[in-house]
Amino acid sequence: MSPDLHHLSGAYAVDALDDAERASFEQHLAGCADCRAEVAELSATAGSLASLAETTPPPSLRASVLSGIAQVRPIPPPTENVAAPADDDEPDAGGTVVPIRRRPRTAWFAAAAAAAVIAIGGLAWSPWSDDTGSQSPMAQVTAAADAMTVSTTKDGATAEVAYSKQLAKAAISVTGMPPAPDGMTYQLWYVGQGGTATPAGLLGVDAEGSGQALLTGQATPTDKVAMTVEPAGGSAQPTTDPLVVLSLA
Amino acid sequence: MMGDMPAASSGATASGEAAASTAAASTAGASATGAELADLLRRSARGDETAFAALYDATSRRLFGLVLRVVRDHAMSEEVTQEVYLDVWRHCARFDPQRGSAISWLMTIAHRTAVDRVRASEASRRRDDAHAATQQDVEFDTTAESAQASLEAQRVRRALTTLTDAQRSAVELAYLGGYTHTEVARLLDLPLGTAKTRIRDGLIRLRDTLGVPA
Repeated sequence: MSPDLHHLSGAYAVDALDDAERASFEQHLAGCADCRAEVAELSATAGSLASLAETTPPPSLRASVLSGIAQVRPIPPPTENVAAPADDDEPDAGGTVVPIRRRPRTAWFAAAAAAAVIAIGGLAWSPWSDDTGSQSPMAQVTAAADAMTVSTTKDGATAEVAYSKQLAKAAISVTGMPPAPDGMTYQLWYVGQGGTATPAGLLGVDAEGSGQALLTGQATPTDKVAMTVEPAGGSAQPTTDPLVVLSLA
Repeated sequence: MMGDMPAASSGATASGEAAASTAAASTAGASATGAELADLLRRSARGDETAFAALYDATSRRLFGLVLRVVRDHAMSEEVTQEVYLDVWRHCARFDPQRGSAISWLMTIAHRTAVDRVRASEASRRRDDAHAATQQDVEFDTTAESAQASLEAQRVRRALTTLTDAQRSAVELAYLGGYTHTEVARLLDLPLGTAKTRIRDGLIRLRDTLGVPA
């Protein structure tokens, strides 16, 4: 592991990394127990600073929160290697949060050597993936009023892309993904109309097979978002066939 | 963040987590201990709305206060706070007391959500106000000292005095201001790349001063 990443622990613990740094540090975290321990400590320490900011919220907020939770069921504890039922854990329409369903880890990776062009999936509001630690990139995009999401599931792995035309930004969330092979990384791309691929950052996947990233650069409606496996550090152009391709419009 | 960390496997990790728990347990606030909050989360995961209401009562001043500090806009802070609690409710089952305290878990979620929201939707306006924000930070530090300040706040305030000015400003701008380390560097006229070191050094000193066993 590269020593220059270790010193990002503090900035990561206070959410002071930009999106690309956050993604690459999370990738590092997945394999560095020392950094995970340090981040846990420093996050707890940073949390104590909030005692300096204590403010009583308006009573109406309590009522809103409690009436809000009354309409939503807590998600049961995660179970490993058990497929979620296909459709029966959709939240009711009153909920504002739609979790991305956990899927068992599968051989999607191996099976996906051939390019997979996937039709636009359902519409969802997804500020939170299964992975509480990396909810943010999706939330950033879905915070926009015009945010939309497209998703696909293949052999048990799920990829969801959120896109806001207003922000010109896209984010991706995956679950049930196997880790990238040693010395390799998942890389994201914008693919324009002419098939031109523009690098859009790396995607880290944690030990539970989940990961999120905000794509770097500007997203336009004519783009597709693609994901490939590349040598660590990424490539200037894709060197493997895409595992995922999702259209933004 | 802490809720999804893979299980500890090395000795260093285990002691680190113990330290984190100790640090966070002392931040739980006057109204509930860390163990009580953890129990409320456990009951909430089973759909116990009364337990969740108690959790809200025990944590909302700190959580809302942090969100308001980062987001600044009152209406948006209420929105973000509600979003955080709804997410916490949905994901209660993912809280693992082995990996950190309940209050730390909540504050981590709240901070990340607040920072992401403010960066996504208010980026340009806040950047324009950057210098005003620095002023407000200074002002805040002197005025927040009041009879209302909790014992915990007094303890944290004392611990902050052990940091160098540069460390303290960097930590406060990053955590309470919600700025990226690049922005912190710009605000403090530091060479690019040094702010993240100041932030880490400051947090480490703060952690050590706040009573984490060596």
